[in-house]
Amino acid sequence: MKVLSPSVVAVAGALALTTLVMLAVGVDPALAYPALVRGAVADGNLEYTIAAFVPTLGMALAFALPLRAGEFNLGGDGQLAAGGITAAAFALLVPLPPVLAVVVPLAAGTLAGGLVAALAAPLSTRLRIPAIVSTLLISAPAVSLASYLARFPLAEQGTGIAQTPRLPEHAHLPALTEAGYVTIGLPLIVLLTGLWLYADSRTVLGYEIRATGQNREFAWYGGVRVNRVAAYALAGGGGVAGLVGGLIVLGPPYRFVDGALTAPGYTFTAVAAVLLASARPVVVPVAVALLTFLQVGGQGMEREAGVPSQLTQIVQGLIIVIVAVLATVRARRGARA
Amino acid sequence: MSEFAAELVGVSKRFGPVLANDGIDLAVARGEVHAVVGENGAGKSTLMSILYGLHRPDAGHILRSGTQIRLRSPADAIRHGLGMVHQRFRLFPGLTVADNIVIGAEPVTGARLDRAAAHRSVTDLSDRYGLRVDPAALVGTLPVGVRQRVEILRALYRHAEVLILDEPTAVLTPGEADRLFEVLRTVAAGGVAILLVTHKLTEVLAAGDRVTVLRQGRVTGRFTTADTTADDLVHAMVGRSLPTPVPRRATPDAAPALDVRDLTVRDADGVTRLSSVSFSVRPGEIVGLAGVAGSGQRELIDTITGLRDGGDRVLLDGTPIHPGRDPRVAYVPEDRHARGTAPQMSLAENLLMGEQRTLATRSGLPRAAVRERARDLVARFSISAASVDVPISALSGGNAQKAVLARELSRGSRVIVAEEPTQGVDVAVRSRVHALLIEARDQGAAVLVQSSELAELRELADRVLVLFEGRLVAEFGGDATEAQLGQAMTGVSA
Ligand SMILES: Nc1ncnc2c1ncn2[C@@H]1O[C@H](COP(=O)(O)OP(=O)(O)OP(=O)(O)O)[C@@H](O)[C@H]1O
Ligand SMILES: [Mg+2]
Repeated sequence: MKVLSPSVVAVAGALALTTLVMLAVGVDPALAYPALVRGAVADGNLEYTIAAFVPTLGMALAFALPLRAGEFNLGGDGQLAAGGITAAAFALLVPLPPVLAVVVPLAAGTLAGGLVAALAAPLSTRLRIPAIVSTLLISAPAVSLASYLARFPLAEQGTGIAQTPRLPEHAHLPALTEAGYVTIGLPLIVLLTGLWLYADSRTVLGYEIRATGQNREFAWYGGVRVNRVAAYALAGGGGVAGLVGGLIVLGPPYRFVDGALTAPGYTFTAVAAVLLASARPVVVPVAVALLTFLQVGGQGMEREAGVPSQLTQIVQGLIIVIVAVLATVRARRGARA
Repeated sequence: MSEFAAELVGVSKRFGPVLANDGIDLAVARGEVHAVVGENGAGKSTLMSILYGLHRPDAGHILRSGTQIRLRSPADAIRHGLGMVHQRFRLFPGLTVADNIVIGAEPVTGARLDRAAAHRSVTDLSDRYGLRVDPAALVGTLPVGVRQRVEILRALYRHAEVLILDEPTAVLTPGEADRLFEVLRTVAAGGVAILLVTHKLTEVLAAGDRVTVLRQGRVTGRFTTADTTADDLVHAMVGRSLPTPVPRRATPDAAPALDVRDLTVRDADGVTRLSSVSFSVRPGEIVGLAGVAGSGQRELIDTITGLRDGGDRVLLDGTPIHPGRDPRVAYVPEDRHARGTAPQMSLAENLLMGEQRTLATRSGLPRAAVRERARDLVARFSISAASVDVPISALSGGNAQKAVLARELSRGSRVIVAEEPTQGVDVAVRSRVHALLIEARDQGAAVLVQSSELAELRELADRVLVLFEGRLVAEFGGDATEAQLGQAMTGVSA
């Protein structure tokens, strides 16, 4: 409980501040909050919330995994796009039998995302460009490349829309709900999260990743191949991002639509969620659920109560600010002679 | 006005289950050097932190010149004329000496920093106390001893009348330590009260006026150094006398376990750090390595442990060292914070490093086994900690050092390399550490000990090698005098 409290304090504080903002601009919180909750869970909205939860949780892994090794992966968008377009290309161009038609594009997307992220590793070990910079730098060209492929070589002919043709039936992810928005991507990502949590706390690689992140020289001194471990962690994170790209493309509307992967801002929301979890891996899924809930609910609130959905972004921003302040305060107090 | 510059009255402080300070009374007079000694974990650092406003006491209070004061932060302490020299210096390496000293209380003309005035006051201060520094030098380029002088000047610049030093000599060479004590005497003669925490009893007797001994959070002895012996202090600290050192043995005839052959090391800039170093260590012997800081010890030890390339010049039982930390070499590094531990990881996880693969099963790294191993080491090496799950940074300095030793010595390695193995440990632990190294030697390990404390090398080593500017310049038997060693360290051939 003691370790969870910064996150709890941050959320409570942010909600309190938001309530003050609502009062200040003349919105009745008694109307807005119920509208927010309804927007997220009622009237079949729960399916959208879950559909947004899956990629956000995946992107949270993509950020959190390298972060455990001390590497900031801010290139989630590029890895996402690379994974998405690669998955689309495989699904469109390689004729495959039923099950493989899903598995192969997803695997290819994972690999593509992993490769894009792994590019940052030699840049940091050889040229001393920190991953926080290089992942971000590589992201933009990766997004552009995916966009180019979707507009030209892989474009759907004759529509003039920047998107690929609809993927063949075999390549559609099996749906778990009527409308098809919740797919087997949900159990897959949840399973991956579980595996990550297990690996992080009770495997040798998890231990070596954490030691590298906590004190690189200590890990190096202990015989851990820190550069390799950091590269694996980055590649692993990128791989998950690539997989998420594949899952989005293989889900409705079953094509790569230019910009559709990055526009919802999964990457940033995921970063926010991981920071909110403040270095407690098991809290990550909870934080993701909370922020997804706020975002989807915010749109409902806009529709119903006329409150601009930007308000929920303010909440999100405030949460991050409070987390940062608490972390700084704690670090100051912790500084011992 | 009280004769005491500062008094701690009935101070208690608890950390969870640990009562770190238990009703401590301590008074330090103007112009006095007051030593505080005690075992690892006795509560010395905690008490000093309370006096400097870093911790708030649970009970008791602080008087400054007889008036009660309340300290909520170091800023409060500074305002009340208290100064502290930290063991891990809090200086800005990219700024000059003068800038570092005046920072936070800069002389200004209008809104601009008055550099000339800053230089002048620094020069004044350093003249007054005989603390030689160059105000224009960049702090990052200075040796540790001089950086420490900058810290002291910074406190004096802010008119500290009580100066707290927590293990100031742990990072110094013997020469630097002697100079520090001269400085402290001068500063004290100017009316400043000095609190000195240290584990080196010879220092206490040479430089202190009075001594307070702490044990398990309480005062167990107050002495004036003039009529005290080291044995009295040890008795008050640990409640018994210490065993006399084990006699040295004749060097065995076996083939060398560690063999360094004509090792030359250049750094990234092409500067030669080690030139043609050759020596060997036989199983069953302890070889000491002496030399002023920066004589090539770092490069030599990093090569022997496999951390630096060049291991083909280093043979372990006849085969070259494996690159990237050879598991056959146990290694106790000097810098515990940067290299020896990950301060935020738990004690158990710190004790695990290097053994994670041996403990792993097919399903991963069982936490129970990790804890089990840690508890075993904690018991065998008598490390005192609330539990094996606390971050290692919550251990007292000496206990953290014992943890590093426990991790490395428990492997039963053929070769043991130890840098400053007893830094920051109390006299009892020091003799325990020495006993452990001797025990490993007697079981056939080849031991290489690097220490800036010549007394330690003389007690421990069967032979002593001296490094100077990257070359081995002398070799002595274990009976060399400190004068002989000291001379060789400065490059004067014997
Ligand atoms: N921040 C903290 N949290 C928990 N326990 C602490 C903390 N600081 C100190 N302790 C505990 O309080 C006791 C006293 O520690 P302290 O650092 O004052 O010892 P010390 O006398 O300075 O020892 P050493 O000679 O090893 O530096 C130890 O048992 C230590 O583990
Ligand atoms: Mg201490």
